[in-house]
Amino acid sequence: MTETTLHLTTDEIELWAQGLLPAARALHLSECSLCRVEADRERKVILELVQLPHFAPTAGFADRVMAQVKVPTPSDSWKA
Amino acid sequence: MVAWAKQGHDAAFRELVRRYERPVFSLLYRMVRDRALAEDLAQETFIKVLNGIKSYRPEFKFSSWIFKIANNAAIDHLRRKNIDTLSLDGAPSAETPEQMRATSLQLGDRGESPLDEVENRELGTAIEQAIGRLRPEYRSCIMLRHVEGYSYEEIAETLDLPLGTVKTYIHRARNELRGYLEDRRD
Repeated sequence: MTETTLHLTTDEIELWAQGLLPAARALHLSECSLCRVEADRERKVILELVQLPHFAPTAGFADRVMAQVKVPTPSDSWKA
Repeated sequence: MVAWAKQGHDAAFRELVRRYERPVFSLLYRMVRDRALAEDLAQETFIKVLNGIKSYRPEFKFSSWIFKIANNAAIDHLRRKNIDTLSLDGAPSAETPEQMRATSLQLGDRGESPLDEVENRELGTAIEQAIGRLRPEYRSCIMLRHVEGYSYEEIAETLDLPLGTVKTYIHRARNELRGYLEDRRD
């Protein structure tokens, strides 16, 4: 078994999905239909995950947090 | 910014909330799948972080510290409420098919009716629903990896998990997600 004949590991498939797979291993992918199918399936789910949006809390969230936070005063800093 | 906050600048505190409110809220929302509850937990997280800012150690990434506290809040809540998720793989420690079957959970254990999911527009896409079916430990790992772009090492440090466990969780999570998504397409 050589670098170009070994099937890709899950970590390598993730690298491939990110465009970071070394050339020798990418060569295996181009020649191995098993790995290509597996890599395509993995890439689909990774693409869906990286496109997930961030959600925002409701308006005034920061104010509600700050109302319960004790901001240290400069004199506290001297004591610390 | 953190150093500025430690010196007692109100504006620095607000800036930290502004910078991290969306990532922290998003992680919590996807963990507990309830907007109001996620917001309560996010508030609790920021209050704990900001009131304890003096104990923050700069050698640790600040965002990792916040995510650690947020994740702990979510996991504690889920444990307290005994809300859990259906997992095809059973307990994370399960290695044999028998162990997986014995420890896998049933749909009814989720404490969430199908109608709740339909009504939840924000988490209603196929991928969001699939994420909701993952066990919480997998969910936080997969969010940190693919939504926040953390490395496996950073996730291990943030969640206090061995690196091998993080890799296992993420690989199993993606495998389950693929299964859910492909079943849905069939």
